[in-house]
Amino acid sequence: MKNTNDRLISLVVITTGISSVVTQLLVIREFLSQFNGNEFVVALILFNWLLLGGIGTMLAKMAGKGASTGRLSGLSLLLVALSPLELFAIRELRAIFFLHGTSVGFYPTLSYTLLTIVPYCLVLGFALPYSLTVAEKLIPNYPGTRIYITDNIGDVTGGALFSFILVIFLKPFQAIFFANLPLLIAAFLLMPRPKRQHAVFMTAIAASLAALIFGLFIERPSLAPREGKLAYYEESRYGRIEVHQAHEQYTLFLDGVPLFSSQNLTLAEETVHYPLSQLDTVDEILIISAEGGIMKEIGKYQPKRVDYVEIDPRITEVQFRFDLLKKIPALNIIHQDGRAFLKKTEKTYNAILSNLPEPDTFKLNRFYTDRFYELAKKHLAPDGILLFSVDGIDNYLSDAQRQKISSLYQTAKNQFKHILMLPGERIFFLCRDKPLNPNIPKLLAKKGIKTTYIKGYFYGNITKTRIERLSQEVMTDAPVNRDYAPNMIRIMFSEWFTQYASSPALFIALVIVLCGIYFIIITREEFVLFSTGCLTMGSETLVIFAFQIFFGYIYYQIGLIVTVFLAGLLPGAFFGERLRKRGRQVLIFTDAILIALMLFFIASIYLFGDRLPQGSFLVFGFAVAIACGCQFPVALYLRGSGQSAAIQSFSADLIGAAAGTLISSVLLIPYVGILWTALALAGIKIASLILIRTGHDIHIQT
Amino acid sequence: MTSISRRKFLTASALAVGATLVPFSPVTAFAKSDKKPDITGTIFKNDAPESLWKWSREVDHYQKLPGKKVVCGICPNSCVLAENDRSVCRSRVNKGGKLYTLTYGNPCAVHLDPIEKKPLFHFHPKSQALSIATTGCNFRCLNCQNWQISQVKPEAVRHYEMFPEAVVKKAKEYQAASIAYTYTEPTTYFEYMIDTARIARQNGLYNLWVSNGFINPGPLLELCEVLDAANVNLKSFSDELYRKLNGGRLEPVLNTFKTMHEQGVHFEMTTLVVPGYVDDPEMVKSMCGWILENLGPDHPLHFLRFFPRYKLDRLPPAPISKLTEFRNLAMKEGIRYVYVGNVPGHEGNHTYCHNCGKLLVKRTGYHIPEYNLNGSHCKFCDTEIPGVWS
Repeated sequence: MKNTNDRLISLVVITTGISSVVTQLLVIREFLSQFNGNEFVVALILFNWLLLGGIGTMLAKMAGKGASTGRLSGLSLLLVALSPLELFAIRELRAIFFLHGTSVGFYPTLSYTLLTIVPYCLVLGFALPYSLTVAEKLIPNYPGTRIYITDNIGDVTGGALFSFILVIFLKPFQAIFFANLPLLIAAFLLMPRPKRQHAVFMTAIAASLAALIFGLFIERPSLAPREGKLAYYEESRYGRIEVHQAHEQYTLFLDGVPLFSSQNLTLAEETVHYPLSQLDTVDEILIISAEGGIMKEIGKYQPKRVDYVEIDPRITEVQFRFDLLKKIPALNIIHQDGRAFLKKTEKTYNAILSNLPEPDTFKLNRFYTDRFYELAKKHLAPDGILLFSVDGIDNYLSDAQRQKISSLYQTAKNQFKHILMLPGERIFFLCRDKPLNPNIPKLLAKKGIKTTYIKGYFYGNITKTRIERLSQEVMTDAPVNRDYAPNMIRIMFSEWFTQYASSPALFIALVIVLCGIYFIIITREEFVLFSTGCLTMGSETLVIFAFQIFFGYIYYQIGLIVTVFLAGLLPGAFFGERLRKRGRQVLIFTDAILIALMLFFIASIYLFGDRLPQGSFLVFGFAVAIACGCQFPVALYLRGSGQSAAIQSFSADLIGAAAGTLISSVLLIPYVGILWTALALAGIKIASLILIRTGHDIHIQT
Repeated sequence: MTSISRRKFLTASALAVGATLVPFSPVTAFAKSDKKPDITGTIFKNDAPESLWKWSREVDHYQKLPGKKVVCGICPNSCVLAENDRSVCRSRVNKGGKLYTLTYGNPCAVHLDPIEKKPLFHFHPKSQALSIATTGCNFRCLNCQNWQISQVKPEAVRHYEMFPEAVVKKAKEYQAASIAYTYTEPTTYFEYMIDTARIARQNGLYNLWVSNGFINPGPLLELCEVLDAANVNLKSFSDELYRKLNGGRLEPVLNTFKTMHEQGVHFEMTTLVVPGYVDDPEMVKSMCGWILENLGPDHPLHFLRFFPRYKLDRLPPAPISKLTEFRNLAMKEGIRYVYVGNVPGHEGNHTYCHNCGKLLVKRTGYHIPEYNLNGSHCKFCDTEIPGVWS
């Protein structure tokens, strides 16, 4: 009986891990599709998730006496049901809380993410220590660390399942269905046989199953647009692709944001003719991502070769299928990351046209940095031209926009002798080593190329005075935008806050005050665990962002990184369990290793940057996770036995993880870059190290 | 195996079946229900700057209230401000029981634009307008294209120093035919606008007002005395949408149109076609009915194509066929001059004689390659075309 209970509890904990990690990753993806997909939002989701998990864990303290396998089974069924309902709620409640078609700012996003995940996260946070309570009640001397290790096994399995199978083959609700079935079965098995036929239990099983099945039916209807119809929907590895049809117009949406429509002539003309009109020879062109209608305009120059690089094959498929792009004879489609392609290719081009959205995320910022411009320059013919653009202005350049164009100008200026900025709905940067002529209509007339928008509107919208004024706005002392010090992200965050007339100051102040109070009430061992959680999630965030910065799109790899970190915690916990009796020495040793790893990370990034292989980031993450994982059982051992100690330790770890996510994503990386962030995380561990070394009063359990 | 009674079995089965239906309950219907928010701005309590600056002056239209309070009289927001409060438009503050504007002589945007850009298609085509704006707006449009200046305080922007005389001088220097008060909401810098307009008129320049029309009748009548033309937004024909998307109200805007019509000011109307909101043919039909009944068929109406912007950035652009449909509908209803904007190359960019249907003004963007008017008459059938032509 003892063994059966042990096995069943372990099964429930593992399947809960699988279910929770898959749900968490799907929730992040869902929020990215529903809200602005910048790093602030990702950090908010993770912060809320971990914080609520921590609170749920603390609530488990109250569940000592009545704990039973039956109740644990019920709790697990509740988790199963909440998983699809949570995803559904995120999609559907948005239309209730916010006006259709609008984007929202920081505090509404914070409130919404918090509100919609409250039920699931509280129950999830509650479940793990509750499992421990049940296990301790049924199995004498059940070690708390065992639950931690078992949970990690489930988390790793969930991460791997998501990254290598679910995200590739299934849609969100299908993935939820398959990730929760094992938990549903485990919950059923855990329920003592006589109680399985109880009406309440049967109802709970049916309701949970119904919730999972409900998800399978609601996938597409829950995405239907209010205006027009959903002509296409696909969850690619890189994001949610939708095509909305309204009358004869098709609009491509990526993660809920309209990228371009079949009827937007203006941007296509500007993107193509501003740079190509400058050239005598237009033979070889490289396009990094495409604007709708762009090929038709390029075709007017009859180039010999057009290499179109797009990372997501689904995007190109959709573009041609819905006539958003036209196939022209010289077109060669390459499915690869634009920067990775440039790094590998030997070709040179007459023009490189970068058609990417705003540099408001790390994955996009890397196409606006000194390294990228340097790379582009290497692949341009001597008289070749690079074009990129950012959101434009109608009549006034705000301070944030001014900083943005100044930084981009100074960054590009390091590589190109001449830069021409053309104002408008987007500000176009033409970069070349030969002089540039702003009189585009005249150049086009000379070439005999016909346009509609440029011919009719250029002289009214882009007057000589407007061009001159824009150039005058460039600040000569603006910092260069670098891969590892993404100045642009900070500016974009600032612009985002300005747009919604808000500031994160109040939130940050609140977090600092709460952390201060928390530090006062926790023990030294809990602080060690807090700092460990903080460093684990801080460095996971660091690796995610470094990955984005150097290798681009993270959508797919995020699961892999999360899995690697979780996988590292497992052997770490195993070693920790074996070495726990050495207590303080282990904590000191692992803290020192963590500090050394952070310093090693800083040196590697500084010296090698994007020349580092992708695997090295994963190895780093794995190593950090091992050291962090090792600390949990040791600190728990030092903290003493008992349900209360275990719960407080779990809480400290989760709250530290929440703080680590927030501090690194919101405060440090955007403002001081990844190197200083790594140093700050090392600093937190130095504080922990000092605390352990000076803490002679640590209780050692024998 | 434990036995189960029939009653227990039936209860359990019923509950199980019921439970399977729970997720399919009317949650979806509830989620799709339409709420009616109102995004009208609020005053900024105790937000006035410590002291007034060089670009302040006491405003013309306001009333003093007991306790050093004031009520602004410029627009229907009628902001009641206690000492040191700031108005909804962010441009007016109560200092010492008097109402001051912070936007007098400090435009943050000054450009020379083709008059067609306003858009004004029936007022001195091919001419140029010196266009100015200070910060401020009494609306909160979710799709504002100038939010960087309309939704900020005067102290938050870089600005020029250009008092009324200097504006007129600059317009002359640029050889502009007119001065356009535009980009943000000129009603919020009324004093600066009207003083400049008076001097402009003395100097032979036209005055153009590009506005949301949310102004009180008193100041409007004063403005009409010096106004030559206006383009006023009729953002929709629904008070609910005005509150929801713009933070305004419909009725005062309609009153503005009536007043301008009575005063004989040339004006054109602009409606932005927003997918999912301002895209109902029935609403457009009602709007046209009101226009015909109250303003007649001669005031040009522009339907502009929406593009995602500012906070309303998760909608697709308006389909071109929707704009064409609205143009045809409005013309069928009886409005004589209906245009389509933000769509290069569209037939609705051009002017056709309402009598003979022939092409009068061909527009390729701001460029006019064909012009078939003799004075203000159609070259082909001599019908008088409404507007102020060169």
